[in-house]
Amino acid sequence: MPDNEIVHDILIVGAGLAGSWAAMVAAKEGVRDVAVLSKIHPLRSHSGAAQGGIAGALNNVRPVAGTGPDGPLEQIPAGEPPIDSVDLHVFDTIKGSDWLGDQDAIEIMCREAIDVLYEYERMGCVFSRTPDGRIAQRRFGGHSTPRANFAADWTGHVLLHTIHEQALRHNVTFYSEWYCMDLIVEDNICRGVVALDVLSGKIHTMRAKAVLFGTGGYGRAYKITSNAFANTGDGVAIAYNAGIPLMDMEFVQFHPTGLYRHGILMSEACRGEGGYLLNNKHERFMERYAKDKMELAPRDLVSRSEQREIDEGRGVEADGQGIWLDLRHLGREKIMQRLPQVREIAIDFVGVDPIDGLVPIQPTAHYSMGGIATDADGQVIADVDGTPVVGFYAAGEAACISVHGANRLGTNSLLDASVFGRRAGYAMARFVQGGAPLQPVSGDPAQRNRQRIKQVLDNPGTELVEDIAQDLKTTMTNNCGIFRDEERLRKAMSEIKALQARFKNARTMDKSSRFNTDVLATLEADHMLTFSEVIVAGALVRQESRGAHSRTDFPRRDDDQWLVHTVAHKNGDDGPRLSYKPVTINYEKYPPQERKY
Amino acid sequence: MSNNGTHPTAIVRIQRFNPETDKKPHLQEFEVELQPGSTVLDALHEIKSHQDGSLTFRRSCRHAICGSCAMHVNGKNELVCKAPLKDRLDRKGRVTIRPLPYLPIIKDLVVDRTSFWEQYLRVKPWLAPPENVPEKEFRMSPEEVGALRNAETCIMCGACYSSCQIIGLTKEYIGPHALLKAFLRVMDPRDSIPGERLADLDGADGVYRCRTIFNCIDACPKNLNPTQAIETLRKLAQKREAFERARVERQKHLDEPILAR
Repeated sequence: MPDNEIVHDILIVGAGLAGSWAAMVAAKEGVRDVAVLSKIHPLRSHSGAAQGGIAGALNNVRPVAGTGPDGPLEQIPAGEPPIDSVDLHVFDTIKGSDWLGDQDAIEIMCREAIDVLYEYERMGCVFSRTPDGRIAQRRFGGHSTPRANFAADWTGHVLLHTIHEQALRHNVTFYSEWYCMDLIVEDNICRGVVALDVLSGKIHTMRAKAVLFGTGGYGRAYKITSNAFANTGDGVAIAYNAGIPLMDMEFVQFHPTGLYRHGILMSEACRGEGGYLLNNKHERFMERYAKDKMELAPRDLVSRSEQREIDEGRGVEADGQGIWLDLRHLGREKIMQRLPQVREIAIDFVGVDPIDGLVPIQPTAHYSMGGIATDADGQVIADVDGTPVVGFYAAGEAACISVHGANRLGTNSLLDASVFGRRAGYAMARFVQGGAPLQPVSGDPAQRNRQRIKQVLDNPGTELVEDIAQDLKTTMTNNCGIFRDEERLRKAMSEIKALQARFKNARTMDKSSRFNTDVLATLEADHMLTFSEVIVAGALVRQESRGAHSRTDFPRRDDDQWLVHTVAHKNGDDGPRLSYKPVTINYEKYPPQERKY
Repeated sequence: MSNNGTHPTAIVRIQRFNPETDKKPHLQEFEVELQPGSTVLDALHEIKSHQDGSLTFRRSCRHAICGSCAMHVNGKNELVCKAPLKDRLDRKGRVTIRPLPYLPIIKDLVVDRTSFWEQYLRVKPWLAPPENVPEKEFRMSPEEVGALRNAETCIMCGACYSSCQIIGLTKEYIGPHALLKAFLRVMDPRDSIPGERLADLDGADGVYRCRTIFNCIDACPKNLNPTQAIETLRKLAQKREAFERARVERQKHLDEPILAR
């Protein structure tokens, strides 16, 4: 065994909900040697920033009888009939996805939601409660019943801490502040990864019988984003570079309520609890766009509506780029009990207390519907026929199963990461316990990656990495954002090509080996330039509007041509090779319909 | 990098140290434009991106939930992501940023948190649920959940730990962060080993090590109160057996609806 080589049965990259569930389950199933590596400490993972809730038809609350569907909520008394069902959750998710979600996977997610939620609770997750002690639920956009199970407005935080604690309890090994640089795949068999130990600067080949990527989304490619600095889509880009296809990358969700100029998330729970959106005339403008659901229409629709108001001159703040979020009528007690974190954020970052002031917000890049193509066990596929990449799994935002299709419903992301992280954990345990061998690695992948770092460090170039990253974010925001058209997308593509060329001339300032975050920023920028090209390529070819992909030159959904998943393979330097995969649809139960709210 | 004179600027003094090349830490001054609404973290980013890429610090979420960016700003621990730069400047327009105290420095503003995480592990941060598991959820009253609020929102940023003078003296002390986590578990009606936990915390490195200096409360960016949690644990440790009996009794009814009062 060469120096610096590390071996585990199962190796997981990313320690958010998906990765931690997979690790915990595999360890609990008896796989002895499970390791997780993460570029930041596991408890810093971005799952912890999720606020409003996790979906599941638990049937704990209902609108008070006689108050209509939007009335105040009460616990469902013992013995009274349920109002929610798995089927209804499935339908809402399919409709939210604009029929691009795979219906078999959606059924699995909504069915297993119930059990995952009770498992979280029994592992110690501190949920908010109904008066009789059940898990509390609230309304959320695009869901026809109150099924967002929550812990105040820090739901992701309590879920992340709970699952990390359980992974520790089951003796999972953690490599904290290790950066995965490369995925080793030969003959369609995954053999491990190459990773950089950030502290020492040493590069290791890490071999494993099974590898899972739970590396999160790619919202950092946009100027205004709710995403953490860490969400640079590393795993997605690394897999793509290793020949693994990416699916539906053009679908990027813009959340309607990012804090004005900062992009920081103001939870959808603000509207779930009854908050309003107002334009500069103090009109509840959603009346024009979604008369029934109003502010609780799905995110793609609400963000487009906000952008229309802004584009037509009815925005707020000095530059007219904002919208008001009005929570004042909820009252102090409800805000303190249900929305304490968003209140603090508004006070800390824009100096407004939502109890008595209007909070300026704007759409913010939030969630990546696309990602590494997998089946419902997290098994990564190599092509549109579903050929498995042996030993390689993905889950959570990095993966595309697809359960969110063209637009994800709020609270379905914590659910997706949990359900499919857990399923992938069981699948990997079966794979390893079924006798999967440790596969040999040819050549010296660590050495190749040492060369890559050396090139980064030795580049005498004149460009600063951050300037290139900023220019990428500007073009993605202006030309591949909420509204798209051919002209802008072509501009985005040519600018990305130019930025990729400039990147070859990028200089890294920190030349040391110890904890070199400057080198990390360079590798991350490289990854963003890689996947952004795939986003734009898919968006350019898809001549329709569906969910979050809104083409002003093709404003209608086109099921005859485009009820298909985009599958993108790397094709040398020529840009991605695109092929298309049918959507799994149960035509009897959930046939495509017009999507109205 | 100098500015063009049209924007006000801030002087950012940062403690620099790379143990591989430097004999001891030193302060370095940078100048950044003072943008409306910018934070101390924004200033660090501006410096790293355009002036000195070797400046090293941790950060991720930028809204006080991930716990990465606790640092020592003008002599006080805080999360730099939510510290307004303008408010941190002295009369000469300067702010001074150092790494968290009492911990070994890895590089610049990045500290070695090994002892911090070891103590977190030592208190067994996970819940130990009872063996009889209900079909659905364990029932907890809103009041029982409310009693945990002082601990459940802890983000493990380390601001309290590295402001604690006892930690400055000995890393054997469990520390305010891990005691707060222990409090969360002890107080949770679903936890079935509160007695064992209280016995573990009762030793010389546990709850009696706290000298109620209250630095942890001042440092906590989430407005939590570790001192009060430690006081509570102390009291419970003194009547441990009664507390255990009450827990056993409570757990007999964990699958039953909470009755309206």
